[in-house]
Amino acid sequence: MNLGENIKMAFSSLRANKMRAVLTMLGIIIGISSVIMIATMGNIMENSVMDIFNSQGGSNLVGFQITMKRDAVRNYYSTDDLIKEEMIKKVGERFADDIDVISVSSGSDDASMRFRREDLDLVVYGVNPGYIRQSMTEVIAGRYITEKDVEKRGNVCVISDKQAEKLYGSPREALGKTLSFNMNGTSCDLTVVGIYEYKLTGLMSAMVNMAGEDWNNEVYIPYTTFAKLENTTNISFFYFYVNINNGVNAEKFASNVRDYMNNRWYRDNDSIEIWYQTGESQMSMMSEVMGIISTVISVIAGISLLVGGIGVMNIMLVSVTERTREIGVRKALGAPNGAIRSQFIIESVIICLIGGIIGIILGILLGNVAGIIIGTMASPSVGSIILAVSFSMAIGVFFGYYPANRAAKLDPIEALRYE
Amino acid sequence: MSGRPVITMKGIVKSFYIGTPNELEILHGLDIEVPEGQFVSIVGASGSGKSTLMNIIGALDRQTSGQYILDGIDVAKLDDTELSKIRNKKIGFVFQTFNLIARTSAIKNVELPMLYAGVQSKERSKRAKELLETVEMSDRASHMPNELSGGQKQRIAIARAMANDPAIILADEPTGALDSKTGRLVMDIFHKLHKEQGKTIVLITHNPELAAETDRIITLSDGRIVGDRLSGGEGEQV
Repeated sequence: MNLGENIKMAFSSLRANKMRAVLTMLGIIIGISSVIMIATMGNIMENSVMDIFNSQGGSNLVGFQITMKRDAVRNYYSTDDLIKEEMIKKVGERFADDIDVISVSSGSDDASMRFRREDLDLVVYGVNPGYIRQSMTEVIAGRYITEKDVEKRGNVCVISDKQAEKLYGSPREALGKTLSFNMNGTSCDLTVVGIYEYKLTGLMSAMVNMAGEDWNNEVYIPYTTFAKLENTTNISFFYFYVNINNGVNAEKFASNVRDYMNNRWYRDNDSIEIWYQTGESQMSMMSEVMGIISTVISVIAGISLLVGGIGVMNIMLVSVTERTREIGVRKALGAPNGAIRSQFIIESVIICLIGGIIGIILGILLGNVAGIIIGTMASPSVGSIILAVSFSMAIGVFFGYYPANRAAKLDPIEALRYE
Repeated sequence: MSGRPVITMKGIVKSFYIGTPNELEILHGLDIEVPEGQFVSIVGASGSGKSTLMNIIGALDRQTSGQYILDGIDVAKLDDTELSKIRNKKIGFVFQTFNLIARTSAIKNVELPMLYAGVQSKERSKRAKELLETVEMSDRASHMPNELSGGQKQRIAIARAMANDPAIILADEPTGALDSKTGRLVMDIFHKLHKEQGKTIVLITHNPELAAETDRIITLSDGRIVGDRLSGGEGEQV
């Protein structure tokens, strides 16, 4: 009795009860497709998160910010507590060998601009030249904010490709033009020196495209110019980021900088100190969250597959009972127990395998529905497909074994007498 | 009519355990010897032990005590797998209710015992076609059992029983579910197999007329052989 014959036999018996076979498969289809769907969506998400993470410097990125001391006596910040421009400069000098680039942003402010009788809402960011490394953007025409702009408090700005197209038809046309902004009631004229666009792939770029103007209305100006427009002489920040050179130990670097800053500027502060976070720790937090999510999903998927498997077992038991007489005849004709057992196991495996394959296809399709909507596609890893196929086969064997064994152990005399 | 014995039974006892302390003895020590090429019928009223005896002859069941040698093999010593091999190679079953496998074409039904014997696909279908020709069912090869009449089904079943060229054909009331005309047809096939191919056939029946057509009649009553005579030999004991 070879495998091919068994498979043919299994298919003919499934054909005889099409409806029943399909309903039984449904349990497996739903289980497997939900696993694959979630794996596909997870892949889309993870790729996007990794995109952002890597575009910002990956594990070379370290962030510093002010935080409350453990024994803080206040629960609010004051301007004196903020990180001064001077401090960042000192850090840059002292740790020059380790640092690739420092990026700062003095926050954002809403601004508006009147252009051809149309009011445009914008968000203005005061940044330093290094900030481009954090903003997931790249300059496609002109230049970014330079040290010179910062020094001279230059009235320059960098706008998005979308804004440039909207205002002047193309990024090239926009360069050198002067825009009149209204910020906090004061208006100022800024010259467009550069055009940026988002350098993102996958989900994030789709989201940016969908968001349209809401994302593309960011205008970058020197942080010194920003302070000038805000009428502050005291330039300070809540946080700053450092991209360290390759080969520098991020953890060691970060704690050194933190200790340096705390010793020098925050020792006497009653409530505030510097705190740091490395890209590595951010990433491990992220993967921890991902891990929890995938564990929860696995458990849910496991339960649904268990339910599907019980359905298969149930139907196989019905099938064995229905075919008791046939089993008796087969035994009388010389079928050994093993042949009967494998006949039913193969039938159960085929139900699960077909269900599994349909489930995989359905899962990829459903997982990509979201992807199609936002314009990005993803396929689950080959590994997860192989896993799903072998898992559904394993369900077939596991839940098919008991009914098959029952069939194999039937007494041929009793079975032949069965009405 | 004599030859090498195909069936040799000595002191066959079969009892069923139906809870302490009772044991129900169905067969009380039967001695039967059937030589190769004999067409023998076993007759008896219901409850006489016919079916139990048939199950033992057919290697579906084992005797409680006594010795059963089938074509030179001591059946009592075999395990389940070996018994299934014996059923497959040595015995061709023909049942009262045909017992063709549903949703399986006539020719596939005939091939089934060869499938379990591990015969290659090509050879299976070649042999099955020959067998269908023997029972004059060649034109129905691809028909499903539910498309066949009772007589046709039984002819397919006989072809199936012959598939592995068994030592004996064991037919249990093969005409019981058929009208007399088709029953006649089926009996003619048995006679043909017996005469032309020299098959050893054991016919289990409660119909004395059918039994009278065979070489030898063994009569069972209450688990004992009460008559064993060669047909036409006026009650001659074997």
